[in-house]
Amino acid sequence: MPENMENGRPMKNNIKVQRAMRDLTQEDLALAIGVTRQTILAIEKGKYIPSLDLAFKIAHYFGVTVEEIFSYDDTIQTIAMKDHNKTE
Amino acid sequence: MKKNTFYLFIGCIALALLAIFWYSIEVHLPIIIIIAFIIGIILIYLVRRKVTDFIEDERSAKITQMAGMRTFQIFWIVFCAFSIGAVMEILHIPAFPRSFPPERPPEIIPPRLMGYIQLGLLCLMIFLYVGFRIYYARKYGEWETDEE
Repeated sequence: MPENMENGRPMKNNIKVQRAMRDLTQEDLALAIGVTRQTILAIEKGKYIPSLDLAFKIAHYFGVTVEEIFSYDDTIQTIAMKDHNKTE
Repeated sequence: MKKNTFYLFIGCIALALLAIFWYSIEVHLPIIIIIAFIIGIILIYLVRRKVTDFIEDERSAKITQMAGMRTFQIFWIVFCAFSIGAVMEILHIPAFPRSFPPERPPEIIPPRLMGYIQLGLLCLMIFLYVGFRIYYARKYGEWETDEE
C-alpha cells in the first residue's frame, strides 16, 4: 500500500496552499511546529502521513480545522476503482 | 553542544574503541574491549542528550523504528537458526557406538568458529539495519527535493 494511503484510501492535503496564502516557507512552518523541513516536504508530497498530534499542530498553526487541511482523495479513489472494475 | 561537535565526538570514541580493540587482541583480554565498548556507548548516549540543534521528529523516529523492527524480524530468525544448530551439537551423542570404548561425542563448536559466526551475524545485522534505514528514509521522503 502506498504511504499516502490510509485504510486503502488515498489522502491529500493542502499545506502547500495554506503556506502560500500566508507566504510561509517550509522551514518557517517546520520551525514553528518543531519538526524538520524534510517532514513538511514529505507530508506535502504525500510520502508521509502525519500523526494525529502533528496534524492538529499544523491545523492549529494555520487556524483551521484538521479536515480543512487533510482529506481523503476520493476523486483519485473513484477513478482507480472505475479502472479496476473495467479491467475485471 | 552543536551537532557537528557531537559527530566529532563519535569519531573520537570510534577511534579509541578501535585502538582498544587491537590492544585487547594483543594482550588477549576480551574483557577490555567489552567494558570499553559499553562505556563508549553510554558516553555517546549521555553526550547526545546535550546536543541542542538535533531535531528528531516523528518521521525520523518512524524511520528508525521501522528499520529496527525489520532488522530484528530477519535477525532473530538467522540467530535462532544458528543457535539451534549449536544446541544440536551440544546435545548430539553418537547412537549405537560400535567401538569400545565408545567414541567421544563431537566437540562443541570451537570458540574460533563461534567468533566467525558472531562476526558474520554482527555484519549481517549492521548491513540489514543500514539497508532498511536507507529504504525507509527513501520511502518517507528523506531525499525529496522541492522548488524551495
